[in-house]
Amino acid sequence: MLFYEKSLSSTNKFSCSNCHDQKFAFTDRKVFSPGVDSEVNPRNTMSLANLLWVKNFFWDGRTEGLEKQVEVPLTGVHEMGQSLDASVAKVKKKKFYAARFEKAFGSREITANRIVKAIAQFERTLVSAGSRYDLHLQGKYRLNAEEQNGMDLFFTNPNPSKGVRGAGCASCHGGPKTYSELFQNNGLEKQPNDPDRQAITGLAIDEGRFRVVTLRNIALTAPYMHDGRFSSLEQVLDHYNEHVVQSEFLSPFIKNNSNIADGEKLGLTAIEKKNIIAFLGSLTDSTFISDPRFSDPFK
Amino acid sequence: MKLIANIGLAVILFCSSPASAQVKPGSASLKISGEVTKDFAFTKDDLRKLDRTTAILKDRDGRDVPYTGVSVQRLLEMAGVTTGKQLRGENLTKYLLVKCADGYEILFSLAELDNGFNDKKVILANESAGKDLPVDRGPFRIVIEGEKVPARSSFQVVEFKIAFAK
Repeated sequence: MLFYEKSLSSTNKFSCSNCHDQKFAFTDRKVFSPGVDSEVNPRNTMSLANLLWVKNFFWDGRTEGLEKQVEVPLTGVHEMGQSLDASVAKVKKKKFYAARFEKAFGSREITANRIVKAIAQFERTLVSAGSRYDLHLQGKYRLNAEEQNGMDLFFTNPNPSKGVRGAGCASCHGGPKTYSELFQNNGLEKQPNDPDRQAITGLAIDEGRFRVVTLRNIALTAPYMHDGRFSSLEQVLDHYNEHVVQSEFLSPFIKNNSNIADGEKLGLTAIEKKNIIAFLGSLTDSTFISDPRFSDPFK
Repeated sequence: MKLIANIGLAVILFCSSPASAQVKPGSASLKISGEVTKDFAFTKDDLRKLDRTTAILKDRDGRDVPYTGVSVQRLLEMAGVTTGKQLRGENLTKYLLVKCADGYEILFSLAELDNGFNDKKVILANESAGKDLPVDRGPFRIVIEGEKVPARSSFQVVEFKIAFAK
């Protein structure tokens, strides 16, 4: 309920759901999202799914743990723009919350810590595991030929000397989670103009690195990348296939990941790219985006 | 061997701190922490002053590539980690967690790394073919000779953490 509570913002017009809309797998399909002051945030809004397995949050991994993550948008001046103390005062005025806090925490007391914990715990329940890919893993659904070929390419590293074709996606997006707790430079630019992961660690080798994101529901969460530069999955595949910028900081998983002997480019065919996109479509979880447990209780 | 005396410096180098200064790849260090008798950090210059050894790793075309560095067991001994005759009883439930700059992590049981238990060659390498490792792999990487899959021969190692399995 607090996830959808607009009084947690300084203008009483923003809740978490303004940027994290369930029908778009908890994104807003904008390149950059505006906050209470109408200023846009510098990075693309991230999807919320399967967060209970994530250690470090945001594109640059700046916070560890969901409770710390929750505080950032609540109090950020370009997001919901309100102190936690002000939020407590407003929530206390809404009579129906006291009983809910008692049920959740054992007493009617409303504190900043409890508000943060409640939202974080709600986010932990946002589990997306009902896609056709999941049904395939359970033996309940058979991927069609395009999806199957796309999945095979997705999970295979190319090895031209042995005639093995692949896209090598699984080095970062492997396993049912479709992400790893990694930060990688995926060759978007020679000299990134975003402070990226390096601003957090101070390490030169972190230049151009951002966290590896989940691909769950990826067909619903355009635009893509930390700056929302790609409006379609076709553009994303084109980037990884043809436009990766080589640099000393480029991810070793991408560097020389090629279907061409001694090649720098991935070298997938147009049909192979299309098949991978078909497989990515199988990661869409229609139950997740319509589950009433995750929906706005005020509607 | 000149060690970084103040472990705080290593913390500044590698841990999350928006205020920390940028660090050139060549000056990076690796720290060993957790179940140690002394926190310990070293640079690649420190590593060069220790007993050097070479381990072979196959590249993806099956060619043998030699890497040079220091035995991981030797480094653990320098941090006071239980090795050799101390590695018995409950100490056999200890592990080494290897942390890399990009967030990648892999794990060894301490017994895996101990020459009292086996002859597996596991080194922390900083050179190959007489040159420093390239930025995207170095300055330090793990090399496990003879392991069928290279997934644990990880790049850009920044920390060794010793802990008990619970």
